[in-house]
Amino acid sequence: MPALQKFAWFNLAVIAWTVVAILLLLPFLGKGALGGFGFIGLLGLGPLFFRRRPGQVLADERDALIGTRSLIAAYSVFWVVFVLAAVFLTAVVYGEDGAVPVTVVRVSVGAGFILVHALASIAMLVQYAGGSKDAE
Amino acid sequence: MPSNREEKLQNRIRRLRFDNGEMTQQDLAERVAVTRQTIIALEAGKYVPSLLLGFRLAAAFGVRVEDVFQYEGGSSK
Repeated sequence: MPALQKFAWFNLAVIAWTVVAILLLLPFLGKGALGGFGFIGLLGLGPLFFRRRPGQVLADERDALIGTRSLIAAYSVFWVVFVLAAVFLTAVVYGEDGAVPVTVVRVSVGAGFILVHALASIAMLVQYAGGSKDAE
Repeated sequence: MPSNREEKLQNRIRRLRFDNGEMTQQDLAERVAVTRQTIIALEAGKYVPSLLLGFRLAAAFGVRVEDVFQYEGGSSK
């Protein structure tokens, strides 16, 4: 399994664990459960999958292409979601003259980060599974 | 003006591997500095390599690029 594919599975596992942890803690800790976002820090271990080993090719042009495409797809979707949420959802939920609570803004940052990484990881796994037909 | 005909790039990598002492996918991958998964994708026609990798593959087999890859279709007319 290529290093990037392992990296994608690891990211999804960390994200899944983070979301589950927050949801499990929410009934007991309320807003304090948002501390569960700290588990996202585990993503920082991702580069360990790209440790250089003598004579081993960790990633090549196909991996680079898959990675680039995945990030483009993830950020494209994120941007649409972000704009829709910022322009319409806030108006619907809080009203035209309402105020968005600080906690919601904080959670949005974490949620956006999770969304981008989850989408990118899924896109990577889909491309590895199905094969990427075109190359640059 | 480009035609609507589908373009295809077929390759003889698998054939050439066997013609070169039954070279394994891993051996070839190491020679051209890619992962084995990329060789698998190439042989399955799921990945079209860069020009540079195409030349590296040809060099690994000691043949010309056109002996490894065959372009089909998409001619403009």
